[in-house]
Amino acid sequence: MKKLLIRIVMVLVMLVVLNWVYSKWFFEKDLRKHSDIVELSWQVVDDSCRIIYLGESSNNNYGEKEVNHRKISDFTSDYFPTIKMGDLTKEASHAQTYYYMLKHIPKSSAVETVVVTMNLRSFGPLWIYSKLETPLRKQLVLLEDRPPLVNRFLLAFKAYPIKTEEEWNEFVFEHWRNDTFNIPDFPWRTTADWDYGMYSYGWYDFHGQRDWDLTALACHYIKTYAFQIDDDNPRVKNFDAIVDLCRERGWNLVFNLMAENVDKANELVGKDLMKLFRLNCDYLLKRYGNMEGVTVVNNLSLVRDVNFIDQDWTTEHYYEEGRRIIADHLALTLRDFYPNDYQNPDSLKMDIGHYFLGGTMALDRQNPYSMTLVLTADSIRPDWDMVNVAFEIKQADGLNNAIFAVEKHDAQGEKSIDSYAVNLQVQKSGVWDFATFALPIDSTFRMAQKIKLYVHNFSESAVQIRNLDVSFRPAYLKPRVKAKSYKSDDVDNGK
Amino acid sequence: MVFNSIAFVVFLPIVVLLFYLLPHKWRWLMLLAASCVFYMWFVPKYILILLVTIVIDYAAGILMEHYADQPRKKKTFLIISIVSTLMVLMVFKYLNFITENLDQLCASLGMETHLMTHIILPIGLSFHTFQSMSYVIEVYRGHQKAERHFGYYSLYVMFFPQLVTGPIERPGNLLRQLHEKKEFRYENISKGMRLILFGFFVKMVVADHLGEYVDEVYGHLDEYNSWTVLCCMVFYSFQIYCDFFGYSTIALGSAKLMGFDISDNFKSPYLSKSIAEFWHRWHISLSTWFRDYVYIPLGGSRVKYGRWVFNILVVFVLSGIWHGAAWTFLLWGFAHGLLHVVEKTLRKALPTRGHAPLTLPGFGNALRVVKTFVLVTLFWVMFRATDFEHLKAIFVTAFTNFGGGEQMSVKPGVWIYLGLFILSDILLRNTRFDKWCDDKPLVLRWLIYAVLAFMVICCSSVCNFPFIYFQF
Repeated sequence: MKKLLIRIVMVLVMLVVLNWVYSKWFFEKDLRKHSDIVELSWQVVDDSCRIIYLGESSNNNYGEKEVNHRKISDFTSDYFPTIKMGDLTKEASHAQTYYYMLKHIPKSSAVETVVVTMNLRSFGPLWIYSKLETPLRKQLVLLEDRPPLVNRFLLAFKAYPIKTEEEWNEFVFEHWRNDTFNIPDFPWRTTADWDYGMYSYGWYDFHGQRDWDLTALACHYIKTYAFQIDDDNPRVKNFDAIVDLCRERGWNLVFNLMAENVDKANELVGKDLMKLFRLNCDYLLKRYGNMEGVTVVNNLSLVRDVNFIDQDWTTEHYYEEGRRIIADHLALTLRDFYPNDYQNPDSLKMDIGHYFLGGTMALDRQNPYSMTLVLTADSIRPDWDMVNVAFEIKQADGLNNAIFAVEKHDAQGEKSIDSYAVNLQVQKSGVWDFATFALPIDSTFRMAQKIKLYVHNFSESAVQIRNLDVSFRPAYLKPRVKAKSYKSDDVDNGK
Repeated sequence: MVFNSIAFVVFLPIVVLLFYLLPHKWRWLMLLAASCVFYMWFVPKYILILLVTIVIDYAAGILMEHYADQPRKKKTFLIISIVSTLMVLMVFKYLNFITENLDQLCASLGMETHLMTHIILPIGLSFHTFQSMSYVIEVYRGHQKAERHFGYYSLYVMFFPQLVTGPIERPGNLLRQLHEKKEFRYENISKGMRLILFGFFVKMVVADHLGEYVDEVYGHLDEYNSWTVLCCMVFYSFQIYCDFFGYSTIALGSAKLMGFDISDNFKSPYLSKSIAEFWHRWHISLSTWFRDYVYIPLGGSRVKYGRWVFNILVVFVLSGIWHGAAWTFLLWGFAHGLLHVVEKTLRKALPTRGHAPLTLPGFGNALRVVKTFVLVTLFWVMFRATDFEHLKAIFVTAFTNFGGGEQMSVKPGVWIYLGLFILSDILLRNTRFDKWCDDKPLVLRWLIYAVLAFMVICCSSVCNFPFIYFQF
């Protein structure tokens, strides 16, 4: 036994020596090779950046035919020409990865403000248990707060979750099956039920034929966004850790909640999913918006459907305009930290297909009309088939009688008005809600000499509207017809 | 649980500690429970398959002994046991292959069938079923007393160090040792640790680094030139050897920590001078299994020439199929068998020397070693190829694309690791790493430990390569 103890001591001495050798000559090389995110963190020091933007593919993705490949962080940087702003962008990364990136920014760096991408999807099981977790988690092993030799040992002995795609998927399925929604009067029990409901009822084309592609996309939206964030969510813990770290380092922290394609979610799935968007967004705003030293920029519904690159999947990949909208919004927040450095670069020029009327307006008996978008006949391109309209609305009571109006003037000066009731979509009072419409561009639309789009409030009580957003849909997106309404009760009853 | 995982690094010391802390009468239970945990770490439900074979063979052993004086009954129980074990193997290992081929056969006859099954092969099935079969055969032959204690018998089949990739132990060795009371000895701990350290080096540093190149080249044959593919063939020879040898060495070391001696599975096989000798030095526990339970019962070599050729080919083809349910494995086994026959027939191969000490070869012997290595390396291509198309593509690229394609760039470190391994294989040609260390001076010994430890921790590949023989 004595001999064994002596040998154990010898082993310990040997390990200490090996740790020294490894740290001195090998560790940095290994870090660059196996944990390349750390290189990004080190770069920050080399560049003496004061603002750091941490993001995933939403930051640097661009459309195939786009000429301008600039990132959200680049556009944001335009607003602060006197401040050096850098980005740490790594595809598929999430809060846990950001935490390690931030942790490895040397204390000697010039960083003052950190913008961390907050991606709503990353809170869902589909991302938490993605197959990409294996390589991501592998990257983090060497970055832990342990002696380098121990970290390398853990990397060699695969101390990270090695799972096949099937095994990861099984975790996801488990959550879809077992995580129940804790929302009063919500028609769906679990994501799996909801997905099945959509699959069963689904979408149909103009000819009444089942549109399987659209049904699959609707199901995918449910599977991606139908979850409820709570305090036990692993991402929440990761973001909490980021908050603690930034406080410790004395950095301003901005969580940049990325825009999701709420238009499409609303169109394909409807109010129930919008409710979850709202609940989850509220949770994040409440949790982090009220924390000292933390600012949350809510871009969730700022980008319209036409500005999303991937029309047949759920991503946060935006065309230039979408990237600019988020950058603009973020810059407004950063202005609070750097009021003297802020300069509007006037870079947010809209395409002819997209009209954004910002600002808030109160519509009451005296002023029942909102800001109006006026279009002439030649501004409607022949390749457009649909127009998407979205705006935020807050009503004093639940009896609003507002409409979205499309006023068409023909060559003789005669006008006709198509109206779309807002109260079919918005019933809540005292809170901002979304109203969205997808309208076909039909022959009357095309023949009109002038078209006016606006919101008209007929109610006794006032409503407020803001951010009226009108996007014309190109022809390659096929027109959609929503199926009859469906409820989980019907599914349960086997109807 | 795989050996090169953090789970095993935590698991093994706990088991060893408990083993020595518990009184002898409870050790079997702890080891059995540990073995169950070890096996269930993969896919828990597969333990039921093990349970079925254990129960059948345990009962068969007792019944055969009970009816020792009634040969017909005894034989019936043997047949029931072997058939049921083989049925398990057939269903879980070969049914996919059989049904797939039936579908193809029917398709070629113009019939559309959908017989193809998709059964997942439980890890280590071929190993523990063979170990189980060796027990019933030994009991039938009267060489082994039937084990009455169900726990000890289960432990014999499930003993975790050799459960999933062998060596395929005989009851005469392992079952006997399981009953023995093992005292704590520093020597066992020391030797066990040496073996484990060396096994990790061979697997994680040598095999896995080579595997990265092999996977890259065999996966993108059209991008590389012939020199690269030929180099890759050699790499694969060492990858599979180091992978399997590394695992076996860790298994030996893990068992040694608790005082158990399990069989050596390799004796420097690439220093063999003939195919026959290669099979005396490669996967010894499987070769001897086929020799004792198939080749000799078929008549061995004491039969007419034609029958002997038949016996040899049967054994090698079975060995090929044992490795995997694919035509490429069958071809691999057949090729080895055929070469064995040719070598013996032409009397060009040196007489096999079995486990006799191997001396350093002179020039003539060196040429024979090289010839055997080249042949074995070419045959390994059949083993590695995913199907005949892939096999053809590898050979075509290896011998017809000297001018085109890229030349693979191999990191200097990989040559160093491979060189170190080849050197160690020559040095250890007549011994084992733990024994070889015994007579070395303390300073040299600890220097070797330090270098090995450093390489295992700091130079091992970070790619995840499961042990190749897990799939069998």
